[in-house]
Formats: sequence, structure tokens, C-alpha cells
Amino acid sequence: MDNDRRSAPVISAGRAAAASASVTNASKQAPPSSLMAFWASFSENKGAVIGLVVLSVIVLLAILADVVAPHPPLEQYRDFVRVPPVWDADGTWRFVLGTDGLGRDMLSRLIHGARVSLFIGLMVMSVSFVLGAVLGLVSAFSNSLIDTVISRVMDLLMSVPGLVLAILIVAVLGPSQTNTIIAVTVVFLPRYVRLVRASALAEMSKDYVTSARMIGVSKPYLMFVTVLPNCLAPLIVQSALGVSEAILEAAALGFLGLGAQPPTPEWGTMLADAREFIRSNPWIVTLPGLAILITVVSINLMGDGLRDALDPKMQRS
Amino acid sequence: MLPYLLKRLALTVPTFVALMFLTFVAIRLVPGDPVEVRTGERGISAERLAQFRHELGLDQPVWKQFADYVWALLHGDFGTSVVTNEKVLTEFAALFPATVELSFCAMLFAVLIGVPAGTFAAVKRGSWYDQTLMGLSVTGFSMPIFWWGLLLQMYIGARLGWTPTSARIDPIKYYFEAKTGFMLIDSVLSGQAGAFKDAVRHLILPTIVLGTIPLAIIARMTRSSMLEVLSEDYVRTARAKGLAPVRVFGLHALRNALIPVITVIGLSVGGLMAGAVLTETIFSWPGVGKWLIESIGRRDYPALQGGVLLISAIVIFVNVAVDLLYGVINPRIRHGQ
Repeated sequence: MDNDRRSAPVISAGRAAAASASVTNASKQAPPSSLMAFWASFSENKGAVIGLVVLSVIVLLAILADVVAPHPPLEQYRDFVRVPPVWDADGTWRFVLGTDGLGRDMLSRLIHGARVSLFIGLMVMSVSFVLGAVLGLVSAFSNSLIDTVISRVMDLLMSVPGLVLAILIVAVLGPSQTNTIIAVTVVFLPRYVRLVRASALAEMSKDYVTSARMIGVSKPYLMFVTVLPNCLAPLIVQSALGVSEAILEAAALGFLGLGAQPPTPEWGTMLADAREFIRSNPWIVTLPGLAILITVVSINLMGDGLRDALDPKMQRS
Repeated sequence: MLPYLLKRLALTVPTFVALMFLTFVAIRLVPGDPVEVRTGERGISAERLAQFRHELGLDQPVWKQFADYVWALLHGDFGTSVVTNEKVLTEFAALFPATVELSFCAMLFAVLIGVPAGTFAAVKRGSWYDQTLMGLSVTGFSMPIFWWGLLLQMYIGARLGWTPTSARIDPIKYYFEAKTGFMLIDSVLSGQAGAFKDAVRHLILPTIVLGTIPLAIIARMTRSSMLEVLSEDYVRTARAKGLAPVRVFGLHALRNALIPVITVIGLSVGGLMAGAVLTETIFSWPGVGKWLIESIGRRDYPALQGGVLLISAIVIFVNVAVDLLYGVINPRIRHGQ
């Protein structure tokens, strides 16, 4: 608790900047709570709110997939192969978005696909978040040798184009959903490490860190309890945007046949299966990609709002 | 400038060594025996097997294998494909122009549309045009390009029949030797009527697909960079002098706004390479990206190893070049003392 007070000025300075940047009408009244200030700043960005709403729906669908999906995702209705969606003259309400080449219900597969994609995205995000925080802080706080080793390894991982590195890793480990998570995490980890390292280095010269040091707090305490909370804002923004990038990358691997394997209803894998129907049955190709696009756009819109609200210093580009 | 260049290049050396180590280790970890891949299912005698192992250097201790590997790389030997028996570097060099041609056109497409669109959005800040463009930019940035490629193939290529959906040129109508490897140039050199037009038609869809994400980034970047510049004093002065808006925005402002945009262009070379893997796979474009994916399917690990190494090396060098170029364009940042 002591620590909260110590780090408080830094956090509130950031929030104040956020509030003034967005010119809230609360300035005449009592200072709003930090959550209120955050929401005021976040909700000013209409795109961010839309993104949040759409994403919430997708997350709900993913969680409730077993209840919501009208059919089991792997069930093959052999008498109803490639039935078009309901708006087509030949469509039926039984299969609202039609069926694929093996007679599986598209809608159910898409809903279950949300679960797969969001799971991959969240796993990549949480592992990168934790590893990135630990490695970044260790790098910032340790002697030059360890710092150099960590930084060089991250440089190396960043020098290989993302998808190419992921392909190399999957080629070595073999294609599967778990290995997709590993590969995509390795690709995105350097960004988290660099971000934490840079913000930790910036924090270390500040007075509250010096005073904490003088009190004699242990190094792990200094790293994770004193400094880390003040590096969180950019890290949270990076994580939010990182989920969308991870979903895209995982879908790309799936499309190349190197990600989650059939019959898993992963959106990228579904697209790979669908390529042969380009000329005959467009919905089998169109729908999974649309699902990816809507999910990624809504996360990115929300991430932009998060950035404006949490981290006004970071430039919008 | 020269000392800076040398320093900058020296800094890439540890990265290269680490990169060699990474690809070397990665390939050793691959399940399955490269010799068995080569011999096929019927199997061969133990003697032949030992001979193959010796040829591939697999009977040596691991440190020796790595040393040999680095030594060979330093001599420009990136290994031999176990499927075609060709040198990896030769295969790569033959396919690379196709990737360069595609990437160059994609970048050109992104810049030619993105810079004017972003500039106009900044000038008309807050208008419906600005909002639409920024919405499109988020969409483009979030685009799963493999799906985008399939959509264009489906609607523009197959349904409307406006463009071909695969390859670089119609191989039945036109045949000529590759002189430069760049189809646009070769088709002109061949002197065959209609060849150039056909090559362009084949380029359209892949260019749009690969250029979409850079386009979204460049449009957005130009807009924000332009907004910053427009509030500068010299822009106000230019306006106050009564210069035509075209001159103010196009000359005074845009020139300075483009500096960060150029950095973005340089930094997206890595992204272009990654995008090329997907784009080439969709459009059967015979470049290094498609070759890389196929080498995995064929378990051609030397090709994969050499390909990853070469692509990464190119990206690293382009980034160094961008760094230098940045100093040339922006006099405020001069490298070296």
C-alpha cells in the first residue's frame, strides 16, 4: 500500500494529461475518479466504443459457443453439402449461413472459430505480457552483459520478418494450435520486451525510484512493485493491439496449412479448405474472412481508444 | 557519413552470426531425417546411406557442422536443395526478381494513393472524407490479406473476368527467355505484341493485395504528419503571403510531412516480405515467398534455411539503407560527427 502512494504522482500526472487532452466537461466539478476519467476519455472516441460493443458480442458468442451454435461444429450433414445461406433462393433457415464442402454448418463453425481465434490471441497476449514484463525489467535493471544478451536476442527475432519467423518455428515444431501460439508469441515478444525496457529505463531516473532505493527495498520489489505499475499504460495498449495482430498472424498460418489443423474450426484453416470453392460457392470463402476482419477491426478500434485514454503521450499514427 | 555507415554495418555483424546460429539450430531440431527424405520410401543400402550422410556432413560433430556452415556461408554457399539438387542461392536469385517486382509495384501503389489521400484528409480535417478515409485505413490495416486476395480473385478475376487470377503472364500466348527476371521489362524486351499489357494485367490483383496494408499505414501516417506540419509557422507564413493552396500544401507542407512517411516505407520492407509469402501463395506468383512455403511441404530444409537467412539479410540491409537515407533527406539529423 505504501508503494501506491509513492507511485501515485506519476499515474495521476498521466491521467490528468489524458483528461485535459480530451477536454472533459468535468473540469468545473470535483475531480472525477480515475475510472470515470478513463471512461470519459475512452467514450469520446466513437470508434472505440463501437469496437468495444462488437468485440463484447464476439467474446460472448465465443464463451457461449456450445449453447448458441445451432449445430455441432464438426457434424457433417451429408445430404446438405454446400447449401447456400438463407438469403439465397435455395437457402434454408436450418443452415442460416449455409454449409461448407462437407455439409458442416457455417454459422456454428464461425461461432466456434471465434473461440479458437480469441483463445490463441489471448494466450499469445498473456504469455508475451508476462514474459515481456519480466525480460524487459530484468534487462533494464541488470548489468550490461545480461542487458546486451536480452537486447541482442530481441534484435535478432525482430530482424526476421514476422510471418517468415513464425513459418520457420512451425516448420521445426510441426503444425498445431499450440505451436501456432508458441510461434506467434516468439514473433511478438520483442515488442513487449523493448517497450517495458524503455519505459523502465525512463522511470528509473525519477525521484520515487531513487527514494525507494534509499529506503532499501529489495530489487524484485523495486522492479515489480515500484516500477512496473508505472510502465503499465503503454504495455496495456500494446497488449490490446497485440491480440489483433496475433489473431491475424495465427489465421495466416492456418491459411498456409501451418496453423491449427482441420477439422478445427479455425477461421484461417477454414479459408484454406475453402479455396477450391472460389468459383462455385462464394459464401464458404467470404464468411470466415469477414469474421477475421470484423474481429480484428473491432479490437484495433478499441485499442486506439485505449491508447488515447491511457497513454496520451503515445502518438497516433 | 562513411564512419557512420561502417559503424552501422558493423552493428549488423552480431545479428548475422546469431541469425546463422538460429537457422542452423532450427534445422537440426526438425523431426525427420533429411537423408530419408532424399532416399524415398523404398530405402537404400547401408553403404549408400553412410555415403549420403557423409556428403551432407551429418557424420561430423555438431560444432564442426556449424563451423562448416558459417564457412560456407561466408563463401556465398547457402547450401544445396535436397529436392532439386540446385544451389539454394541460385534458386533464390532466379525467383527473387519476381518478388522484388511485386513488392515494388505494391509499394508504388501504396505511396501513389496513400500520400495524396492522407494529405487531402489532413487538409479537410474532420470532414466526411477524412472520417471515411480513416475508417478505411483501420479496415485496410486489419485486413487478412490472404482473404482479400481470394475475394479479389473471386469477384474481379473469376466473376467479372477483368484480370487473370494467377501467374505472371499467359504462358501459352507468350514465351520468351527471362533476361532480367522482371516480367515488365522482359515482356518489353521480347518485342512480342501484347506481352507487356498481359504482364501488367497479371500484376494488378497481387499488387493491390500486397499494397493494401502499406497503403493503410501510409495514408494514416501522411495524415497525422501533415496535421503536425500544417500548424507550423512557415506554413502560416506561406498562407499569409497569399500563395495558392496547392503550393502551400503540396510544396511547403508535404515536403516536410513526408520525412516520417519515408521511414515508414523503409520499415515496412519486412512486412512486405511477410505479405509476399501469402500473396504469392494465393496468386501462384513464382517468387521466393511461394518457394519458401513449398520448401516446407517438400521438407527441403536447406532451402528453407537459406531462404530465411537471405530474406532476413535483405531486410536488415534495407533497414540500414533507410537509416542512411533518412539522414540525407532530413538535414536536422546528420549522422556521424
